[in-house]
Amino acid sequence: MLMETVSFLVVRLGVNYVALPAAGVHGVLTQAEAGHEQTVTAAGVTYQPVDLAQRLSVLTDLSGLEMRTVLYSNGHSYGAIRVEQVVGLTDVERKDCFPLPPQFQRDERNWFAGMMLYQDQLVLILNPSWALGELADVVPVSVGQAKQIVAATPAAVGGSC
Amino acid sequence: MLRAARGQQQSQATIRSWNVVVFSVGGMKLAARTEDVGGVWPWTESIPVPSRTPFVQAMLKRDNHVMPVYDLATRLSRKLQGDPLLCLVARHLDGPMAICIDAEVPCLETVDVAAVRPNIREDVETLGMVTIGDEDVAIVALQHLGQSMQGAVRS
Repeated sequence: MLMETVSFLVVRLGVNYVALPAAGVHGVLTQAEAGHEQTVTAAGVTYQPVDLAQRLSVLTDLSGLEMRTVLYSNGHSYGAIRVEQVVGLTDVERKDCFPLPPQFQRDERNWFAGMMLYQDQLVLILNPSWALGELADVVPVSVGQAKQIVAATPAAVGGSC
Repeated sequence: MLRAARGQQQSQATIRSWNVVVFSVGGMKLAARTEDVGGVWPWTESIPVPSRTPFVQAMLKRDNHVMPVYDLATRLSRKLQGDPLLCLVARHLDGPMAICIDAEVPCLETVDVAAVRPNIREDVETLGMVTIGDEDVAIVALQHLGQSMQGAVRS
């Protein structure tokens, strides 16, 4: 039986593991390759800096040897995302992706498309459109609205990717 | 006939009393209806999750299941006491939710519903207040925990 899978690049920001849909990854650069400028130009494309750690209010140390710059695009926008570590690439069955629990009710519903487990770690699946600055943070939603959001997910018990 | 009458009396008695779990957060005694409690386990380290929902900023992983953590101690401005701390699983309407409680092992009590009085506290959602032993104890509405915070100013 054919299993529907999605590929993710798993990265680490501080204590958080975050997954980026791999289809949008254009490259992964070391500090030396990325240079000291915030904006990165590669293959004639300019990638604007994305301070994901700051936007998520996550404490990170981007001075380590494992720091990488992920060149990312969703087809509309292009971003250079600095991460503490690139953990790996993984294929995940859609049924193994889960929505954020409805108790999370605010902006984070816009930040993350869902979550999954990878190497026994909880990994938050990033919403690329938000990460690339295409979506403003949402206003607080009520529990009822949050439930509707979950209900509207392809499969509330899995399939959030 | 007699049996039926006794059964009826019993069911009426059941309705007139609640079984509650009495637990402690930062030394403050609290209670919850037993049907609102999914279990009590040793606390394991929670995983911080970037979030702007008040008091919901972490998840707890147990085997292959994860559940959100509700930081009741911070909401009540209390510091958890004892070691090892315990995890009380709340049967919230939106799904199970973990709450870190003091190391003191919870106990079961039966309270007379007629003795439950309205709670004037506004720091947490409750079903009312009851006196257990010498202490006034709030019965936390675990199913609705956090719902009154929906309109709260962002932290």
